[in-house]
Amino acid sequence: MKRVEIRLNISAVAPLLDVIKQGADGLKQELAIKSALPENDREFTDTWNQELLAGQNSDIRELLGLFGADFFSDGVVAIDSNNCESLLRACSALRFKILDRWLQGLPDDLLEDEDAPVTTVPEAQRLPFACYTFLDQLQKIMLEHLDPLAPDEPAE
Amino acid sequence: MIVAETRTRPKPEAATAPQLADVWRVVALNDPVNRMSYVVMVLRRVFGFDEDTARTHMLAMHERGRSVLWSGTREQAEAYVFALQQWHLTALLQLDEAG
Repeated sequence: MKRVEIRLNISAVAPLLDVIKQGADGLKQELAIKSALPENDREFTDTWNQELLAGQNSDIRELLGLFGADFFSDGVVAIDSNNCESLLRACSALRFKILDRWLQGLPDDLLEDEDAPVTTVPEAQRLPFACYTFLDQLQKIMLEHLDPLAPDEPAE
Repeated sequence: MIVAETRTRPKPEAATAPQLADVWRVVALNDPVNRMSYVVMVLRRVFGFDEDTARTHMLAMHERGRSVLWSGTREQAEAYVFALQQWHLTALLQLDEAG
């Protein structure tokens, strides 16, 4: 099983966690992207959305779990092939939420520039922007160093 | 490969029930959030595409705004759309009028 340990600067990440938690709270009852079904069947649509929401919340709990007491003692988050799928999805969901809630009005080329200096962002949006970039970098590390396409390992 | 889970959906009203022969398309739309390598990984994971095929679809989404990823029965198309939405890709289920 592949495993990556990422050492982070606790004082730099702590403020980002406040944004992540606010984003997570905002996603408890709503999907990061609304589903559109060619269906007037409300029961079907509700079931569909509830299943998506349950998965989304589970993924986000997995991500929040990375930043518990252990993280605040050593600054390390550990990601492996067992949790990377959930974490990849959680990062995506939270980035949608952060974009929708805090980063409206920023140009696309800035949002897509992973090396964009934070000083190019209006001050009120810098913290959410840093969080948006942080989650993107977490995804990048997972995609580069873990193997989300590997077959699932059998349960022991 | 992980194939999207099969879901049980409520029976539609008879008057609006799709015909068995109907062909449904799974269409993915571009979004401003997900990085290209993530989209390629998801398409490979959900559909079992090889790297080149997944990349071609991803570029079509990026450049033309959408890509038709699959077409076939409604039940399987629904399963694919659900799986894509689990990964936070914007995906639509469309009846292929020409199909």
